[in-house]
Amino acid sequence: MARIGVYICHCGLNIAGVIDVEEVAEYAKSLPDVAIARHYAYTCSEPGQRIIQEDIKTEKLDRVVVAACSPLMHEETFRKTVAEAGLNPYLLEMVNLREHVSWVHFGKPEEATEKAKDLIRMGVARAKLLEPLQRKKVSVEKSVLVVGGGIAGIQASLDLANAGLDVILVEKSPSIGGKMAMLDKTFPTLDCSACILTPKMTEAARHPKIKLLTYAEVENVSGHVGNYEVTILKKARYVDEDKCRGCGVCATKCPVNVPDEFNMGLGTRKAIYIQFPQAVPLGYTIDEENCLYFSKGVCRICEKVCGFKAINFEQKPQRIKVKVGGIVIAIGAEIFDASKIPEFAFGKSKNIITNLQFERLTSASGPTGGEIVCPQTNKRARSIAFIQCVGSRDKRFNEYCCRIGCANTLKQAILAREKLGKDSDIYVCYIDIRAFGRGYEELYRRARSMNINFVAGIPSEIYVEPDGTLSFNVFDKNIDKLLEIRSDLVVLVNGLTLSYDAEKVSAVFHVPKGLDGFLLEAHPKLRPLESVVPGIFLAGICQGPKDIPEAVSHASGAAAKVIDLLSRVEIELEPLKAFVDKEFCSGCGLCMPVCPYTAIEMKIEKMNGSERHRAEIIEEMCQGCGVCAIACPSGAIKVHHYTNEQILAQVHAACLK
Amino acid sequence: MSMSKPDLILREKVLAKTRRGVADCFQCMKCTSGCTALKLLELKPHEIMRLIEWGFLDELVTSDIIWTCATCLKCTERCPQKASPYHAIMALRNIAVEKEVKVPEAYLKAVSQILESGLAETIQKIVTRDAEAFDRESLKLPKIANPKGGFQVAFMKILEER
Repeated sequence: MARIGVYICHCGLNIAGVIDVEEVAEYAKSLPDVAIARHYAYTCSEPGQRIIQEDIKTEKLDRVVVAACSPLMHEETFRKTVAEAGLNPYLLEMVNLREHVSWVHFGKPEEATEKAKDLIRMGVARAKLLEPLQRKKVSVEKSVLVVGGGIAGIQASLDLANAGLDVILVEKSPSIGGKMAMLDKTFPTLDCSACILTPKMTEAARHPKIKLLTYAEVENVSGHVGNYEVTILKKARYVDEDKCRGCGVCATKCPVNVPDEFNMGLGTRKAIYIQFPQAVPLGYTIDEENCLYFSKGVCRICEKVCGFKAINFEQKPQRIKVKVGGIVIAIGAEIFDASKIPEFAFGKSKNIITNLQFERLTSASGPTGGEIVCPQTNKRARSIAFIQCVGSRDKRFNEYCCRIGCANTLKQAILAREKLGKDSDIYVCYIDIRAFGRGYEELYRRARSMNINFVAGIPSEIYVEPDGTLSFNVFDKNIDKLLEIRSDLVVLVNGLTLSYDAEKVSAVFHVPKGLDGFLLEAHPKLRPLESVVPGIFLAGICQGPKDIPEAVSHASGAAAKVIDLLSRVEIELEPLKAFVDKEFCSGCGLCMPVCPYTAIEMKIEKMNGSERHRAEIIEEMCQGCGVCAIACPSGAIKVHHYTNEQILAQVHAACLK
Repeated sequence: MSMSKPDLILREKVLAKTRRGVADCFQCMKCTSGCTALKLLELKPHEIMRLIEWGFLDELVTSDIIWTCATCLKCTERCPQKASPYHAIMALRNIAVEKEVKVPEAYLKAVSQILESGLAETIQKIVTRDAEAFDRESLKLPKIANPKGGFQVAFMKILEER
C-alpha cells in the first residue's frame, strides 16, 4: 500500500483557465493509494514547494505526483523539492497537464478536464511502482576538446586555457582562422579582420595550455560527460611542422597550379601551400590529390630546395587518442551554393560572384591585391550590383534569414565606393535592410550618404549578354518603376548554410541538427550554448547565423559553461539507465551491436566450474535509450524508471474508463 | 483618389480558390521584375497580391488587368515564398466569370475556338519573307482530323462532371 500525494497546478491560468482543477483534485482523492490531493496556483514557487514538503512529513507520503507543466520544465525542480524533504528524488512522477492538455485542447474545457483525470490516473498507477534510485558520482577530466579553429573556437580555447584547463583545439584545415580570416574588413566598424584576428590566433598557438592540432579531424567519440574518449585523425601534411619555417621557397618551385579554395577559386595556389600569409601554424602542407609525386611518382622539387629538410614524403597520418571532460563544437558554417538558383546565372559568367569572393577581391592579401576588378576581364569594375537574400528567406532553399547579409553588403558597398571613387555606380537590390545590431543603423546611414542606389526589389533573373555584359530588370516598389540595370559585377549575397561537416559531426558527437540544418541547442532561449548531449557545448555559427561579436559572446559563454562543469571534483550521472537482470541473461549478445553508445560489454563469469557469458551495461556510457531492452529476447534488460511493469501499469490505467 | 472598402467575404472566396499562401507574399518584387506582361500591359503581380490580402477586390475583379497575365509561370517558379501570383490571378478570373463580368473579346474568341475545333488556333496558311505561301498540304504535313464531333462531346461531358 503506497501513500501518494497528488498536486495539481493551476500554472496561473495556463492550466486552470481550461481544466477544472478542483474537479480534478476531487477525482485524484478518490483514486486508490492517494493519501492527499491538492490544487495550487503556482506549485513551482517557494510556497508551493513547501506545501509538498510539509505533506511528505505530516501525511507520511512515500510517492509524489505533480500534475503541472512538462517535465522538461520542472522535473528537476520537484526532484530537489522531494529530496530536501527526505524522499528519494526518483519517487516523483510528473503528469503534463499543460503542454499535453490545456495548451492543446484549449477550445474543449470539458474534454480537457476528462483527459486530465485520465492522465492523473495513469500517473498515480505508475508512481506506485517507482523505485528509489541513486545518482552515481564520477570524477572529471580537467581537459576540453574544441572542434573548429575559427574565431569561436579560438575564443573558447583562450577562455578555457586562461581558466586553467587543458585544451585540445582541432582544426580540419592546415591553419586556424576560419571564415573570419577570409574577410577584408568587418562591420560595422570597418576594422581589418586579419588585424583583430591574428593576435588571437598567435595567442592560441603559443598558449601553454592549448595543444593545436591542425589538418586534423575527430574520428570517434565515446564515453560520457566528464569522461570522453576521443580519437583524432591527424592527416599527413608531408611537411615536418617542427622544421618548416614558412619561407615559401618550395611553393615558388612547385610546378602545379590549382584553384585556390581560400580565395574562393579566384586565384591559384601550388600543390604545396599555406592558405594565407598569416597562417597559424606557419607551416606548409602538400595537397596529396594534386601533388605530382603522389599522382604520378615524379617531381619532389620541394624536397630538393627546402633549406630546412622539412619535407617528408614518408609521413603517415596519425591517430591520437585523448581523454577530455567536456567538448565545445565550433565547426562554423558555409555559404549557400548559388548555382541552385539557375535564374541568377551563377557560373555562367565569371563576373557574377559570391559575397565571399567579393571579400577576397577587396582584401589586400587577396588575388588582386585589393583591387576590385572583374574576374572576366581583369579590368577595374565601374559598376557593381548586390543582390540580397540569395538562398535565404526562400522556401525553396533556406527559409531563415541569414542575419549578416544586410550588414555585410552595407560594408562591402561602402568599401566599393571608397575604392572605385565617385564615378562608379553601386546598387543594392533588397527585400528589407535589416540593420539591427549596435552600430548597424549608423552604417546604413553612412551607406545612404555615399550615393549608393538602394533598389527596393529583387530581380527575377540576370542576363549574361553574348559580349559578357551583365544586365537585369528590377521593379522598385518605392518609385513604382521598372529599372533596367547594366553592371560590370554582380555580387550574389549568399546566405549562411550548414557546414559541410555538419552531418559527420552530428553523427560522431550524437548532436542533432535543427530543421534549418544548424546544430540544435538544448533550449532556443534559455540554453543556447549547450547541445542536447550533456558535456557537449556549441559555440559560434554552427548553432545558427551570428555576426562576429555574437559569435565571440557565444563562444565565451560556452567556455564558461564548460568551466562550471569541470570545476567540480565529481559530477553526478542520471540513473535512468538500462540494467541487466542477471538471472534472465543467457549471454546471447544480441544487445551489444544495437547499442548506439557502445555501452554494453559481454563479460565471462565462472559458475560451478563452467563459463557463462553475460551482458553488462557500462553505466557511465549508457544514455537510457532503451534499444537494448527491446532487442533482448528474454527480457533480461530493463531500463530503470521505465520498466515494463511501470509502463504497462500506465496503459492499464488508461484503459480503465 | 478612389475610395473603397475591403470586401472580406469575396476575399475568403478568392483565398479558397488560390490554394496558395497569398499572405506569405513579402513584396520582394521578383515576380513583377520578371513579369512578361509588365512592360506592354502594366501587369504588376505584387500589387495584386497585396490587394487580395487587403480585400480591395471589387475593382480588381471587374478590371482588364487580370486578363493580361500571359500564364508564363515565371512568378510561380521563382517566388521565394511559394505564393505564386499566377494562381491568385487565375482565381480572380474564375470569380470574374462567376460574377458575369465582361471578359475581354480576344479571350472569349480563343475559348470558343477551342470548343469548336479543340485547337487554340485555326489552321492557317503561312507566308514567308520571300512572299511564298504554304499550307499543310503543300508542305506534305499529315492532315489534322476535325475533332469537332468527338472533342466537343468529350469536353462538355467533363464540364458537366465538374
